[in-house]
Amino acid sequence: MPKRLDQARPFLTLGLVVAAWLVIPTVFKTFTRASFFELTAPVGVAASYARDLQEYWTLRLHSNSELIEAGRDLARLNASYDLAVQQNIEMQGEVARLEGILRLPSYSGYQSEHARVVRRDFSGWWQRLTIRKGKNYNLTVGAPVVFSGGVVGRVSEVFAYTATVDLISSQTVRLAAVVEGDTRPISYQGGLNPTFGSAGGVIEFVPLDIFASANATKRLVTSGLGGVFPPGLTIGSVIKVEPSTDGLFKSGAVKLDDRLAALTEVTVLLPLDTP
Amino acid sequence: MAADENNLADRSGRLFESQKGYDPRVVLFYFIVTALLIVLTSGLAYQQLFNTELHAERESSQNQRRILIPGPRGNIYDRHGQLLVGNRPRFAVVLYLDELRAKFRAEFIRIRKNYRAIDDKDIPTADQLWTLARVSVVQSYLEKINAIIGRDLKVDSVRLNTHFARELLLPYPLVDDLAPAEYARLLEHLPVVSPLQLYTTNTREYPFGSAASQTLGYVGINEDVTADDFPGEKLRTFKMRGSIGRDGLELKFDSMLQGDAGGSIFRVDPLGYRIRDAKPIESRLPIQGQNLVTSLDIDLQLAAEAAIGDQIGAAVAIDIKTGEVLALASKPDYDLRKFAPRLGHADAADITAREAWTNLAIGGAFPPGSTFKILTSIAGLRRGVIDPTQAIADCQGAIRIGNRVFVCDNRRGQHGEVLLPEAIAHSCDIYFFGAGRLITPDLLADEGRRFHLHQRTGIELPHETGRMVIPDPAYKEKVIGEKWFPGDTANMSIGQGYVLVTPLEMACFAASVARNEVFTQPTLLHNPDAPVQRTESIGLTPTQRAALIEGMVGTTTYGTASTLNLDLFKIPGVSIAGKTGTAQKKVTKDGKTGNINFAWFICFAPADNPEIAMAVMIEGETLGENFGGGRYAAPVAGSVLKKYFEKKNRPADQKLAPFKIE
Repeated sequence: MPKRLDQARPFLTLGLVVAAWLVIPTVFKTFTRASFFELTAPVGVAASYARDLQEYWTLRLHSNSELIEAGRDLARLNASYDLAVQQNIEMQGEVARLEGILRLPSYSGYQSEHARVVRRDFSGWWQRLTIRKGKNYNLTVGAPVVFSGGVVGRVSEVFAYTATVDLISSQTVRLAAVVEGDTRPISYQGGLNPTFGSAGGVIEFVPLDIFASANATKRLVTSGLGGVFPPGLTIGSVIKVEPSTDGLFKSGAVKLDDRLAALTEVTVLLPLDTP
Repeated sequence: MAADENNLADRSGRLFESQKGYDPRVVLFYFIVTALLIVLTSGLAYQQLFNTELHAERESSQNQRRILIPGPRGNIYDRHGQLLVGNRPRFAVVLYLDELRAKFRAEFIRIRKNYRAIDDKDIPTADQLWTLARVSVVQSYLEKINAIIGRDLKVDSVRLNTHFARELLLPYPLVDDLAPAEYARLLEHLPVVSPLQLYTTNTREYPFGSAASQTLGYVGINEDVTADDFPGEKLRTFKMRGSIGRDGLELKFDSMLQGDAGGSIFRVDPLGYRIRDAKPIESRLPIQGQNLVTSLDIDLQLAAEAAIGDQIGAAVAIDIKTGEVLALASKPDYDLRKFAPRLGHADAADITAREAWTNLAIGGAFPPGSTFKILTSIAGLRRGVIDPTQAIADCQGAIRIGNRVFVCDNRRGQHGEVLLPEAIAHSCDIYFFGAGRLITPDLLADEGRRFHLHQRTGIELPHETGRMVIPDPAYKEKVIGEKWFPGDTANMSIGQGYVLVTPLEMACFAASVARNEVFTQPTLLHNPDAPVQRTESIGLTPTQRAALIEGMVGTTTYGTASTLNLDLFKIPGVSIAGKTGTAQKKVTKDGKTGNINFAWFICFAPADNPEIAMAVMIEGETLGENFGGGRYAAPVAGSVLKKYFEKKNRPADQKLAPFKIE
């Protein structure tokens, strides 16, 4: 083989691979991509378990008195939660009674599926989490994900043992929100967020009589009208609203919970079929 | 072949042969080639250097498209900042057809393949196949929407084709009347990046429905949105529909209310599809038009309209000092909400059948009846033919003038020898027949013209009628072709015959009398710092004016408008100076000919320090029906005045803050 042709062999190979990739069927490509994620998932999951173990041994280093104090605090917290749960049950009964009187349709119920966070993937384009549950727990694409501070995002991909969650700071997430105390739905969408900066989003179609500023923020919550998220979950704080030039609406900025960047556990809400 | 090669070698031994020596044919060829190259280069240079703009323009027009989006119209407020006309957002879900080129193509191929597979002899033409492909693709998107919001909508193929052919770059509305809950569902269920997008347009909103409908006016569709200072005038432009004022203030102040159009310029491929993911070359957001603050007081407007009720008529209230119109009511009217987003044929036909398009306050000219006696009184006092302390006629219920017997229509009895105040209060026709005769028709007409009753007021509204008439002998000679008779003078002196005025003119007249001046310029624009209008004084002595006002106050206390003394209309501490009127007009209705009456009332209050002036006209509907101004028109004014003074005397903490636009 001539020497020059021999030198060009790597490029030739690359060209052939690219050409082959272009002509092979989409099914094969999809399968390859899914397989890649499925094969790499155990690595992430194993790392997550290793972190859990690391935390476990870290906690083992605490003294008995510290553990006793923590246990006491936890018992108090549990007691307050028990009380809150009882109050919630009572309130749910009252809501059901009122819905019955007014013949209102009930909100869809949800089954909670708690999941550990395996990996965080924050870039300028998207902000995602990988969680340690997937098809094995019947997670579905589009399912809402929440945490104690409110909305986390929506499940965007589901694999065998893991799932990807698009955070509400991601531009690909949009939901119907309301300003607390108001009933008119407005559009919330994740903003263009820097990788290591504080996360935020934008709101549009805000009625003209809504006012908010950095010094007088308003809580933005889910409307429940969109059919995906239950109502009343915190999205963030509205820190700015400005009238648009067309005079019909305002648009504004929302500051999201800083804890979104450090989540270790989230809850996926799986809709229950209403009877 | 070998021989040829040998020949070549023999000639030069090289692949390319070079010619040496002089060959005239080759030299000639050099010249020709050089000349051609010079022509070509010159042409190229000319095109590049001198026709640059032309080519740039052609390039732009070929591969750029311009989209114009109208700006929302400005709001209309009343004098206290109450929104009378605003904009209501309409949520829509739209499909960007220009992003679906590949899908249309794929669907076209699929449909054609299916036809070929079944060996159908009647395979559609290519155009029909394209239509089918487009409808199929768009319907598939519509099915997604149907599934989310629970509707069962189908694509209108004709509308889709028209949109595709003419407005490819504009979003194609799939559903344009989304309820808030549907809009919320779509927000969460539609992908953020998709040819399907949520979109908002706007339409006019009328919080008070039919209130002041003919004054506020309405808007129609504007197909020709313009953006003067937006580049790309010569590009092929797609325009979204805007709105344009068609009547009332919407028409009169259209240029002010009209928003500034926004727009974008996009690059397109040779088939006109937007180049995928390309950002616009130019982009500008639409800007809302300027707001308009009217002089109307919506509370007074509503009070006037409620008082007129189902009757035919008009009522006008004016701020005496500034001429600002506080209420301009006309019935029958129409519900402005039926115009948003557009008026249906049935509703338009209903408005036409009810004759509700016309604003009777400015668009109808009517005989003013006895309200005109105030003008006759002023003319007589100024000319010295009426002395407030002396009777000029003895009312015995009837009088012969020329060949006709004129009766005193009021009280149907004998007023006897009355002085001016009683003559006004009881509206004694015989007194004013005598006054008119003494004044003479020419001087009476001069007085009417002095108060500008012969011409349009110039209020900021379209369609103000020009049919008002202050007649004189010359007018009758010219228009009717007959000479003036004494009976014409008698008729004119009591506001009948050929006299025609609008309710707005009579309200201005009442305001002028209240200010003791001859003209009030009405306006529908509110100016908190408006100066007091000043025109020529009427020219009455204090005694004469006192007698005139005494008569007008007597009208509402013991005279023809004493209904205003009822508790329903009584305003503590406020005396009203007014004058009733009842005019007749011969009409033919349902094949019968007879008179219908026009009930009038003009007034101002408080009589001693006037603030508000009014004119009310109610048209009788039944032939021959006794339809007096004191009974039918005065209560309308009474309701409005009561509302006015209630608002004025309301405690400070219940009053609205001064109007301010942010």
